[in-house]
Amino acid sequence: MSAVTAAKDMEFKSEVLRLAGPEMQTCIQCGTCSASCPTAHLMNPSIRKLVKLCLEGRKKEALHNETLWLCTSCLLCTVRCPRGIRPKAVVSALKDIAEREGVRGRDASYEEFFLKQIKSNGRIAELPLTAEFLLVYPQAAVQSMQMGLELISKGKIAAKLERIEGRDEVKRIVEELRE
Amino acid sequence: MKLAYYPGCVSLSTGKEMDISTRAVCAALEIELEELSDWNCCGATHVSNEQVATGLAARNMAQTELPIMTPCSICYSNLRSAVRRLEDLEVRERVNAVLEKKYSGAAVRHALDVILESLEKKDERIVLPLREMKVAAYYGCLLTRPAGQYSPQFPTILEELTRRLEAEPVELRHKTACCGGPIFMPREDAADDIAFAILAEAKEAGAEVIVTVCPLCHLMLDAKQRALEQKKGQKIGIPVLYVTQLVGIALGLGPEELGLEMNSVSPMAVVERAYEKMAKE
Repeated sequence: MSAVTAAKDMEFKSEVLRLAGPEMQTCIQCGTCSASCPTAHLMNPSIRKLVKLCLEGRKKEALHNETLWLCTSCLLCTVRCPRGIRPKAVVSALKDIAEREGVRGRDASYEEFFLKQIKSNGRIAELPLTAEFLLVYPQAAVQSMQMGLELISKGKIAAKLERIEGRDEVKRIVEELRE
Repeated sequence: MKLAYYPGCVSLSTGKEMDISTRAVCAALEIELEELSDWNCCGATHVSNEQVATGLAARNMAQTELPIMTPCSICYSNLRSAVRRLEDLEVRERVNAVLEKKYSGAAVRHALDVILESLEKKDERIVLPLREMKVAAYYGCLLTRPAGQYSPQFPTILEELTRRLEAEPVELRHKTACCGGPIFMPREDAADDIAFAILAEAKEAGAEVIVTVCPLCHLMLDAKQRALEQKKGQKIGIPVLYVTQLVGIALGLGPEELGLEMNSVSPMAVVERAYEKMAKE
C-alpha cells in the first residue's frame, strides 16, 4: 500500500470516529451486534466486521457493501453493545460518507429522494417519493402497486404535496448542519 | 392536561387512523391537544447525518413551551435522541444558529404513556371492558430505543394497558423485534420475512388482535398482511389496531371516530364479539 493511500484511509477512519463517536475504538469484536441484528443473515460483511473495517481504515470495503443498506435502524445492537458503541451510528456515518462521495444504487437513491423531499417541502408524501424511486428501481413496482391499491382503497394515500411555511428554514437545517 | 401534538407525516396518509383515533381518545380522556405549528418531518430512519436529524427535531421542539406528545414511535425516538444530543451545548449552539425559534429544552411523550397515565384502574370511562380479548402486545423497536423510561428489550407497558382495558395480553417473543419497515421499499424480501415472523408468532399464540404503537409497524403488519399471506401461503387474518384504537373501543367510541374502517384487516368482528359478550353479562 502506498503512503498516500494509507494516509487517506486513516482520514477515513477519523471521519467515521468523528461521526459515530470515539468509543468505537474500544470495540472488542464480541459480535453481540451481529447476534442482535434482524438482517444479520443477509449481511456480508457482518456488522461486527464492518466496525473492524472502519477501525482498520479499509475504506473501500467499508463503503461498498450491502450491509449498510440492510440496517433497519432498530437500535438493538446499540442498546446491547457492552462497550457503549452505537453500531447503527457507524452504519449512518458510512451512509453519510457514501452519499457525499457519490456512491449510487437503489438504497442510496431512496434515502436521497427522502431527504430531497424534506428539503423542498418540509414533509414527506409517499406518492411522489415512491414514484421517484420507481424510476430508478422499477423492480419495486409490483410491491408498490399492491400496496398502493390497498392504501388507496382505504383513502390513505396523501394526494396533495404538503408544503410547510418554514421550508426555507428546513432547507438550511439540511444544508448547513451537514458537515 | 394540555399538550402540544406532533402528528408526524404519516398522519396525513398511511397512518390516518392513528391520527384520528389519537385525537378522539385524547378528547374522551380530556387531554387537550394543540397541534404543533408548522411542524416538519422528523427524518424517520432515512437521515444519516445525526446533526441534520437533530436540527429537524429541534425545529419542531422549538415551536412550543408545552410537553410534546406524538403517537408515532419513529418521531418519538427521533425527538428523544435529539433531546439527548442537544444536552451537549456545542451541538445546541450549532443547531440554534440555524433555527428561527431557538431550542431551549423539551419534554417528549408517547401517546401510549399519556393515555395510560390518564386511565385509572377500573376507570368508569371504560364502558366496554375487553374481557377475554386476546391482545398481542407488539412494541416494535423504536418506542423503547434508545433506552429511556421503558426497558429497551422487555417493556411491559402495553401489557399493562391491555390489562387495564380488562383484555388478556398475549406476550410475544418478537414483541420488541423490528418489523422490517424501514427497508421495505428497496429490500422487500428481507423486510417481508421479518414482518411475517411476527404475524406467524401472533397467530401461533392465539392472538385475536395485535396492538401496535408505530405507523410503520402497522403498515407492515396490517396493510401488507394480505400480500404476506399470499407470498408465504399461510392465512393470518389478525386485525392490527393502533393502541389508540384499542383504547377507543374500550371507551365506547364508534368505528368512525376511531377510523376502524381504514384498517386493512377489519377489526369489526372482534369489536362486535366484545359488545355481544357485554350484552350477555
